[in-house]
Amino acid sequence: MNTDLVKAHLNLNAVLVNLEDLVVYDEEMAALSKNWALSIQFIVRNGPRAHITFENGKCTVGRGRRKRPSIILYFFSPRHLVRMFDGKAQPVLLKGFTKLGFLLKDFPKLTARLEHYLKPTPELLADKKYLALNTRFTITTAAFAVRELGLLDPVARAISSHIGNGVVLMKVNPEGPAAMLRFQDGGIEAEKGDTAKPMSAMLFRNLKTANDILNQKLDAFTAIATGDVMPRGRIGMVDSLSLILDRIPLYLG
Amino acid sequence: MKTYTYKKSVALFKRAAKVIPCGIYGHLSPAPLVPATDYPFYASRAKGARFWDVDGNEFIDYMCAYGPMVLGYNDPKVDAAAMKQLKSGNCITAPAPIMVELAEHMVDTIAIADWAFFAKNGGDVTSYALMTARAATGRKKIVLVRGGYHGVAPWAQAAGHPGVIDEDHSTIMYVEWNDFEGLERLVNEHPGEIAAFMATPYHHPTFVDSELPAVGYWSRVEALCKKNGIVLIIDDVRCGFRLDMRGSSEYFGFKPDLACYCKAIANGYPISALVGTEALKTAAAKVFYTGSYWFSAVAMAASLATLKELKRLKAPELMMARGKKLLDGMIDIARSHGYTLNVSGIPSMPSVYITDDESLMLHQDWCAECTKRGVYFTSHHNWFISTAHTDADIKKTWNVVDEAFKVVRKKYGM
Ligand SMILES: Cc1ncc(COP(=O)(O)O)c(C=O)c1O
Repeated sequence: MNTDLVKAHLNLNAVLVNLEDLVVYDEEMAALSKNWALSIQFIVRNGPRAHITFENGKCTVGRGRRKRPSIILYFFSPRHLVRMFDGKAQPVLLKGFTKLGFLLKDFPKLTARLEHYLKPTPELLADKKYLALNTRFTITTAAFAVRELGLLDPVARAISSHIGNGVVLMKVNPEGPAAMLRFQDGGIEAEKGDTAKPMSAMLFRNLKTANDILNQKLDAFTAIATGDVMPRGRIGMVDSLSLILDRIPLYLG
Repeated sequence: MKTYTYKKSVALFKRAAKVIPCGIYGHLSPAPLVPATDYPFYASRAKGARFWDVDGNEFIDYMCAYGPMVLGYNDPKVDAAAMKQLKSGNCITAPAPIMVELAEHMVDTIAIADWAFFAKNGGDVTSYALMTARAATGRKKIVLVRGGYHGVAPWAQAAGHPGVIDEDHSTIMYVEWNDFEGLERLVNEHPGEIAAFMATPYHHPTFVDSELPAVGYWSRVEALCKKNGIVLIIDDVRCGFRLDMRGSSEYFGFKPDLACYCKAIANGYPISALVGTEALKTAAAKVFYTGSYWFSAVAMAASLATLKELKRLKAPELMMARGKKLLDGMIDIARSHGYTLNVSGIPSMPSVYITDDESLMLHQDWCAECTKRGVYFTSHHNWFISTAHTDADIKKTWNVVDEAFKVVRKKYGM
């Protein structure tokens, strides 16, 4: 298996998606991107594609190709993309030379802020607002990463192929954030948000426990006994999901 | 009915979590209990079919310590035999004569057994069975049924579990339960490479219904293994002595080469056994396999007393009849509330699920409501019946079951 390929998929399809919420929940970023009207297409040779669209103060991240992007960023390999995310390489600009200012000045502010939220320290997590956003992004990343790993990582694929059909909900009680994974006949789709009728659920007592569990600081077995994590429904699905979640740090982090 | 609370259990668990990884690990971990907070974590004592938690709550126990309790907790005959042996000696530099007596008794009791080997846990003997099969055949590969449970050795755990590496499964192949053709295909694809096929007498995975062998399944498997020099291992750790004293393979009408026993063998005293046919005795003898406590004479004395008592009581038939009575009543009660209770497996270790909610959340709530009222039901695992479950226990269970259905109906309105 090509680790860089998996990392490239995770970065494009599980990390970038958080930009959607970043411009909603971070006022500064909302203000910054309010008037943006453009789209970026990422193309990785022998790797994934994804696109980001800014329109009417809204950000949408999608898989694959979109029509008529304003900017096309090209990468020679998954490794090239991974190095870009590590701040060690630059993409090749295939289209959008007139947007160079945006790419060099504005967009990096957004990605830097996302990175800030995704790299917690104990001090940062002590801040309620930071904790809330970090947890939101962690849950989203986790859900979308499970989809990628379930299709690309051999061990996760073996696990997900026996997971059964239905929606698994991950949710911080009482009001979220939440994300869902829809398993259907070998296919997996990740989605942000809540559902009233999941097939199984991993409910977290609060932001702090969700954060600790998803960042591998607390083991789920202990947390379930204390009621900090409440699995419900098809527990086999939750167990399998946990095993896949455990594999995320092998690629991200 | 009064519902239970678990203050002392919770307090104890908090202490435990500081000094024991995940507080309570393994199959007694609260993790698969839903919601875990509706269940007791620590038991203070047990007697017959009941146990009391550290908060003083009393439970009719339908998990029977996940199988080992079969004659009732603290059975006087078994305990007396154990105590008598303890006074003479337990772990000594040489084994006690009771070891020979127990082996003879097992050979007399279990149809296929020409010899018996003792260890402590089910997993000890499932691993030993694989080693014996490999030693006997000079082959590496093992075929298992997907979703079957044979203990916690890395080969027995599913891929992806922490601490398990890909190489642990390099010689393990899987077939689906009851899929004779699948097994035959594997055998044909790997001629002369498969040392053993290991399976439980019937399929009893967690979270889902149990499945009995299809008509003709076992006799075809037996013939296939014989023809291809594959050792047929039956993992009777869970079913053993709850279906048939002569071995669960007799219940289903086939003859394995090796059989693993543990749970019901000694009414809670720690001992397990691998039994086998004469043809495999030399191979078994050649495998070096042992443990510090495997010669503990107390457990052997307890086992001998347990097996004798099980035989005297015709325990498998008794437990199946009790289980059937209990479950028939429960199915009726469920129906009277508009619910369908599906029972699968054998009534002495039934898998029970309410089928009206596919997600099982309603079923989980119902099991938890029963438990909070003194009838300990898990929602993820087959239950166990013992010879100590009385008619009075069954009646009380029905009452609790009835009330729990009322509670979930109110909550779900379906
Ligand atoms: C069928 C079966 N095999 C093996 C084992 C493992 O036994 P132990 O936990 O004693 O190692 C179990 C335990 O539940 C079992 O049910």
